[in-house]
Amino acid sequence: MIPGKILAFLEDEGTVAVSGTRDANLIPAIHYVSGWDVEPNKRTIRCSIPQAFADLISSLENNRQFSLTIEQIGSHETYQFKGDYVGSARPNEADMAAHERVKARFAKVVNQVFGLPQEMCRAYISRPSLVIRFTVREIFLQTPGPGAGHRLVPPEEE
Amino acid sequence: MNAVELPDQIQPVMQNGIPAIVVTCSADGIPNTTIISQVYYVDKTHIALSFQFFNKTIRNVRENPQACVALNDLEGNTKWILDVEYDHSETEGPIFDEMDMQIEAIASATGMSGIFKLRAADIYRVKSSKKVSLAPASPRE
Repeated sequence: MIPGKILAFLEDEGTVAVSGTRDANLIPAIHYVSGWDVEPNKRTIRCSIPQAFADLISSLENNRQFSLTIEQIGSHETYQFKGDYVGSARPNEADMAAHERVKARFAKVVNQVFGLPQEMCRAYISRPSLVIRFTVREIFLQTPGPGAGHRLVPPEEE
Repeated sequence: MNAVELPDQIQPVMQNGIPAIVVTCSADGIPNTTIISQVYYVDKTHIALSFQFFNKTIRNVRENPQACVALNDLEGNTKWILDVEYDHSETEGPIFDEMDMQIEAIASATGMSGIFKLRAADIYRVKSSKKVSLAPASPRE
């Protein structure tokens, strides 16, 4: 189960997300994520994928491996979620609402940090065409610093 | 597979200060996605990634040298996707020194001085590059 602190990060603080898959030959691929939401079981994350990066179903059906990294731009607080693909869907109303929230948050923060116009930043977060659902198996801290790479869930043995 | 030549228009994107993304995969098939502060243009067929914290990336590419890198061009509303193959790491020399200087500048500008620290410049051969131009936002967006 995703801890409460990280659920709050996912809900209110993360500003940019990217995901990774690999094919049958272990060739990795990047898929931008334009929105995310956690399902009520607090284990499954829904990732909204724009059309340009939606060529991932064959890899996921082949091996089910999915990784998602979400950062809060500015503070650099970052988590990576690794898990198992459980299905895909067309974006529903809640997915589109999550996409809009992320897009607004991204535009506001990138404007503050990099000085780029909010309109330009909003255009960079493409409308999703597909939702990937995956169940989280592991969570890693990736905030730059001495703890980077530390596994939070399940906890590493000291 | 032979290396491909990077287009000239990609160089300014590597210098725009916007973080990039790298995905690698372990020998047992688990993808790893990280956000990195810098991709460095080495020559027409090679790039260097800054190795700072994430030991998993370097462990993965030593097991399986394939990686995928994405560069962000917000002003051009474009993403660049590079398929690359790990070649070697450098811990001294002109590429390392130049990257170290740039990392320090990025750290200083983002409040991460003393935290961002270059351990190695990881050199990758470019296998392919793809420009993904995004459609203009629809009125709903």
